Amino acid sequence: MRQTGQVPILRVAGVLLVAIQVDLGDTVATALQEDVLEAIARTGSTGLLIDVTGLEMVDSFVARVLVDTGRMARLMGTETVIVGLRPEVAGTLVRMGFDVSEVQAALDIDEGLERLGCKVVRRGAD
Amino acid sequence: MAPTEAAEAKVLTREALPVRSEDDVVLVRRRARELAQRRGFDGFAQAAITTATSEIVRNALVHGGGGEATLEELDRGGRAGVRLTCRDEGPGVLDLERALRGGFSVTGTLGLGLSGARRLVDEFEVRSAPGAGTTVVLTKWARR
Amino acid sequence: MRPEDAIDRLQLDEREVRRRRDYFQVTDEDLARLASHRDLATRHNDEVIEALYQFILGHPESRAFFPDAATVARVKQLQRRYFLGLFQGRCDPAYAEDRVRVGATHETIRMPARLYMGAYAVYLELIRAMFERELEPAAARAAYASAQRLVAFDMALAMDTYVAAAEDTIVRHQAAVRELSTPVIRVFDRILLLPLVGTIDTARAQQVMETLLTRVAEEQARVVIIDISGVPVVDTKVAEHMIMTTNAVRLLGAKTVVAGISPVVAKTIVQLGISLTALETRGRLQDAITLALELTGRAPAGRQA
Ligand SMILES: Nc1ncnc2c1ncn2[C@@H]1O[C@H](COP(=O)(O)OP(=O)(O)O)[C@@H](O)[C@H]1O
Ligand SMILES: [Mg+2]
Repeated sequence: MRQTGQVPILRVAGVLLVAIQVDLGDTVATALQEDVLEAIARTGSTGLLIDVTGLEMVDSFVARVLVDTGRMARLMGTETVIVGLRPEVAGTLVRMGFDVSEVQAALDIDEGLERLGCKVVRRGAD
Repeated sequence: MAPTEAAEAKVLTREALPVRSEDDVVLVRRRARELAQRRGFDGFAQAAITTATSEIVRNALVHGGGGEATLEELDRGGRAGVRLTCRDEGPGVLDLERALRGGFSVTGTLGLGLSGARRLVDEFEVRSAPGAGTTVVLTKWARR
Repeated sequence: MRPEDAIDRLQLDEREVRRRRDYFQVTDEDLARLASHRDLATRHNDEVIEALYQFILGHPESRAFFPDAATVARVKQLQRRYFLGLFQGRCDPAYAEDRVRVGATHETIRMPARLYMGAYAVYLELIRAMFERELEPAAARAAYASAQRLVAFDMALAMDTYVAAAEDTIVRHQAAVRELSTPVIRVFDRILLLPLVGTIDTARAQQVMETLLTRVAEEQARVVIIDISGVPVVDTKVAEHMIMTTNAVRLLGAKTVVAGISPVVAKTIVQLGISLTALETRGRLQDAITLALELTGRAPAGRQA
C-alpha cells in the first residue's frame, strides 16, 4: 500500500493496519493522521488497527493525534482499535490525566482484528 | 555527631541542547531516556521522565519560541536521578496556576502537558513571569 | 556494605570533607602539629596497636570477630597504617575514603557499632598516654587535643558508614515488602487476580498499577480481578486509583473486575457520591471469577452459552 514518510499503511483482511515503529516527531504524527484518513477514504475499510508496539513514548501530542484519528475515522464509518501499547506507556498516559474512555484497545493484532469483527483462526485455539 | 543535613544532589554529567525545532524536541526526549536508562531507571520511570521532558521542551518551542534544555545525571546518596532544566525567552506562562491545574490550553490542544509532566516527576518547578520567559526544572529519581 | 559503595554513598568530595572538618574543627594547625610528631608515632606504632588489640581480644564479644591468628595479623597491619594516617598532615577526600574503608570493613564483618566505637575510646586513651609519656605537658595537651579532633572526624565517618549500610538494608527490605504487597496471581489462563490488602496511598497505588500492568502484558491477560475486601477504607482517593488502574489496564486490551465490595464499602461509595460506572464490580470474589470466565468466553459449567 501507500507509504507515508516512515509509517507503512497496510491492508489486512479488509482492515487498515498501521504499525508505528518509531518515535514520532509532531509533523510526522500529523502527516500520518492525514495519510490514514486518505487511505480510509480510498479503501472504504471499516476497521483501523493502529499497532503502537514500537512506541516507547506517547506524550499528550501523540496521544491526541491517536485519539483524534480514531474520532475522525469514526465519522467516516471506521472503527479504530489500538494494539500493543506498552505497560509503561499506558501507565504514563493515565497518570497524566489523559481521558482514555474513547480509546478501544486490544492486546495484539489478532485480538484487534477479532475486535473489529474479523474471523481469526488462532493457532492452538479450538 | 556529624551534621545531618540531607544529602545534596551531585551532578555527574550535564549537557545543554538547543530547542529550536521539532527535531530538537525528539532529540532532547530521546537523550533524556538514554540518561534514565544509563542511570538504571525502570521502564515506568524511563517513560515518565521521557514524556515529561517531551511536554516541557515542546512547550518551550511552541509557546516560548524556542530556548535551551539542559539535562543532568544526578546522584543523591546513592539514588540515581535525571534533571531537566528548560529555559525560553518567550512571553511567559500567562496564567500559571490555571495552566498547572490542567485542561487549559491556548492552542486548543489538551492542556495536559504542564500538569501531566508535573504528575510524572518527583520535583517540579516553574519560574515564569509575563514577558520574562519561562524556566521549568524537573527531576525524576530512580526507585531504590 | 562494600567500601566502594560506602564511599559513593557518603559523597566525600572536597566540599563535603571541608564541611566535616569545619564541624569537628580540624584545622591545618592540628594537622601540622600531628605531622610534627610523626617520628614519635612511628616509634610507638607497634606498641599502641598491640595494646589496642590486647583490649579487643581480651573481650569475648569483640574477640569473636577475629577467629584466627592470620586475621589478627592482617587487621593489626591495617591498624598500623591507620594509626600513622593520623600523622600524615592531611585530611582530604583521599584520607576520608581511607577512613570509610576501615569503617566499612568492620561493618562487613558485622561487628556491632557499639564494639567498634568502644575500641575508639581505648585508642584515644592510648594516644593520650603516648603523648604524655613523650612530650612536655603543654605540648602533650596540644597534641592530644588535635588528635582528639581528628579521631572524632574519623569516628563520624565510621558511624555514617554504619548508618548508610543500615539504610541500605531497610531500603532492600522495603523493596521486598513492596513486592509481597502486590501479589498478582494467575487464577486461570489469561485471568489475573490481585488481592489488595492494607492501606492504599498514592505511592502504593502507583506501585500496584505498575506491577499489575507489567503482569498483564507478560501474561497476555484479558481480565484482571482486583479484590479489595482486604482494604480497610475505601474513600474517594482509593476509588480514583481504582479507576485509573482500570483505565490503564483497558489500554492494554484487558478488562478489570473489582471484587470484594462489602455492604459497608457499597454504602460509603454511594454516600460519597463516587461514580463507579466505569468499573465492573462484584461483591463476592467467586462472582467476579464467574464474570471473568464469561468475559473470556469460557462460560462456567452448567451455564454454557
Ligand atoms: N514555555 C511556555 N511559555 C509560555 N506559555 C506556556 C509555556 N508552557 C506552557 N505555557 C502555557 O500553559 C498552557 C498549558 O500548557 P500545556 O499544559 O502544555 O498545554 P498545551 O501545550 O497543550 O497548550 C499553554 O497553553 C500555554 O498557554
Ligand atoms: Mg504543551
